[in-house]
Amino acid sequence: MKALILVGGFGTRLRPLTLSFPKPLVDFANKPMILHQIEALKAVGVDEVVLAINYQPEVMLNFLKDFEAKLEIKITCSQETEPMGTAGPLALARDKLVDGSGEPFFVLNSDVISEYPLKEMIEFHKAHGGEASIMVTKVDEPSKYGVVVMDETTGKVEKFVEKPKLFVGNKINAGIYLLNPSVLDKIELRPTSIEKETFPKIAAAQGLYAMVLPGFWMDIGQPRDYITGLRLYLDSLRKKSPAKLTTGAHIVGNVLVDETAKIGEGCLIGPDVAIGPGCVVESGVRLSRCTVMRGARIKKHACISSSIIGWHSTVGQWARIENMTILGEDVHVCDEIYTNGGVVLPHKEIKSNILKPEIVM
Amino acid sequence: MGSSMEEKVVAVIMVGGPTKGTRFRPLSLNIPKPLFPIAGQPMVHHPISACKRIPNLAQIYLVGFYEEREFALYVSAISNELKVPVRYLREDKPHGSAGGLYHFRNLIMEDDPSHIFLLNCDVCCSFPLPEMLEAHRKYGGIGTLLVIKVSPESANQFGELVADPDTTELLHYTEKPETFVSDLVNCGVYVFTPDIFTAIRDVSSQRKDTAILRRVSSFEALQPATRIPADFVRLDQDILSPLAGKKQLYTYETLDFWEQIKSPGMSLRCSELYLSQFRLTSPQMLASGDGTKTAIVIGDVYIHHSAKIHPTAKIGPNVSISANARVGPGVRLISCIILDDVEIMENAVVTNAIVGWKSSIGRWSRAEGVYNSKLGVTILGDSVAVEDEVVVTSSIVLPNKTLNVSVQDEIIL
Repeated sequence: MKALILVGGFGTRLRPLTLSFPKPLVDFANKPMILHQIEALKAVGVDEVVLAINYQPEVMLNFLKDFEAKLEIKITCSQETEPMGTAGPLALARDKLVDGSGEPFFVLNSDVISEYPLKEMIEFHKAHGGEASIMVTKVDEPSKYGVVVMDETTGKVEKFVEKPKLFVGNKINAGIYLLNPSVLDKIELRPTSIEKETFPKIAAAQGLYAMVLPGFWMDIGQPRDYITGLRLYLDSLRKKSPAKLTTGAHIVGNVLVDETAKIGEGCLIGPDVAIGPGCVVESGVRLSRCTVMRGARIKKHACISSSIIGWHSTVGQWARIENMTILGEDVHVCDEIYTNGGVVLPHKEIKSNILKPEIVM
Repeated sequence: MGSSMEEKVVAVIMVGGPTKGTRFRPLSLNIPKPLFPIAGQPMVHHPISACKRIPNLAQIYLVGFYEEREFALYVSAISNELKVPVRYLREDKPHGSAGGLYHFRNLIMEDDPSHIFLLNCDVCCSFPLPEMLEAHRKYGGIGTLLVIKVSPESANQFGELVADPDTTELLHYTEKPETFVSDLVNCGVYVFTPDIFTAIRDVSSQRKDTAILRRVSSFEALQPATRIPADFVRLDQDILSPLAGKKQLYTYETLDFWEQIKSPGMSLRCSELYLSQFRLTSPQMLASGDGTKTAIVIGDVYIHHSAKIHPTAKIGPNVSISANARVGPGVRLISCIILDDVEIMENAVVTNAIVGWKSSIGRWSRAEGVYNSKLGVTILGDSVAVEDEVVVTSSIVLPNKTLNVSVQDEIIL
């Protein structure tokens, strides 16, 4: 089976992290975002993944070589020379997705984190026999998104309504599709929106069905959602593979610590914390609801909550980092500093307090 | 002593490095700061062309921490254009402002120069280098510093110094002092004789004896003293301060303009200064027009020959327009830098702003900066799209963003 992952754009909402790496390579729960998706696809028998990209292809291609070997799955790129929207990339990658077997192919959005119940989706798709299946997820505020209006029993999709002003339903497009190759015949090779052009056509022909995504769903394209997404992910990990989480007297709630990371004495870590490869957390440190990325060092007695510490950064002794502080790559927060929502670009040194949310360039 | 006709001169321009240029963001996110255009030419071009006026100039070295490939194209182009060898040397690790010079002493001395100029790339001034050299020869010391009087309030941002009013000898030097010492400051342009290398070498051995009095955090004070590596020598604290008052260092005062190009807002101000200097030294570089066949041009304006400007636009004063930019009908540009491939559509207004490469400014939209506000001049990074009728005021927009609502005093990541 084949799959296409829409990687697309510049990831500007995840700056400053995306100033150092393209968004799919930004780590989430200690591995590159896109690796979560590739692993889920491999688990259901996908043998080739095509990445639709238009930004920093060299960096992406290098990463792919490493993981192709490790995962034993073929990974290729389809490069957009101009932005092709959400459907155009499928037409662009046509030759790679259609192998003559008639099997459907997956399309995933790289920003999305979920439990990826892809096996169930394949069964659902076979059962209804329609041309296309999409995952939908229930949200509290549907008018922020595109709502999918569907028959609750059969899952057949009636229509899509973009950011509806009045309530028409509470299920939105979760960005996970399973499509028959015939769908590609309906997509022209030009910038096209799958929600505005392609899916409505298929829905009108009664061929589009939606499955409600079991488990969590999060678009982690911006820092606030990234932090919430980590909580949901770790919660799900506790239910499915609790052995992967770290336990101990100094651990509270769900915590994921890479085996190469070191944690000192007298720390209190958690809930909802991810500590990446090669990190050093010195003694007396308090971490909650935060991500510490590869190679970062947290010095003694520091206290970090609801924040993201970028690759190879350091947090000084007795520093207090909280309220959605995002440190880019190689940022050094001096001893005793307080930052409340500082967003710091790479290669900076923070020598004075940031008392209210502020971007430091 | 050989005749001055055969004495060669080498110039060294310190260009810094990517992790040090963070104050110049977002303009330095995609281009090294020394290559950012000021008055239509890369920043480093201005000191380089000033060096060309030095008699018997043998070689120019650019010294910095950037990757060689970032300067390769520029260096070969400028060597050809100015017919003087320019070479980029990469420092592998920080040696300090004097240590860097010392690190490359063998290369610098290859041409057996009698004098060595040291300039900082981000200094904006008239670079009176031949006059400095002549004065230095008269004084007979090992070095002469370019100095300028500034307002007493701003003096403590720089190196403050005291000079003997008759002999111009450097009597006292202190870097960024907390209390007022003098309104005469160090411009960051120096000329030395090769004895400077001996002075730098001697610093490391003398280092242990000097007491250092400076404020440290409660923590640092209790740590064992960190040792500065022997080859890390700073020009200001380690050479100028100790040698002041010993009849070795002299000063040459400039009465022309002088600024440091530390922030993007300053690059706009310095562009203005260089454009007005072109009016005196090379007026053919500046554009003109009266609205008949070409756009109306007011004041000092630079327009690259490949840029297309509609005749109904009004440009200036203090505008630089780079290659392949397109300025549409009825556009008004005041005090701004428009970089390559920018498109400015009908009736838009850009004032006190820097518009990054490939950006577009929509019809009737307005990009405006206010110098004294929190964020200062408006800066649009690469490939920023400002949609029709949107107003961007005193804001900084990082590359690849689209603005479809007006913003004020904001940084858009």
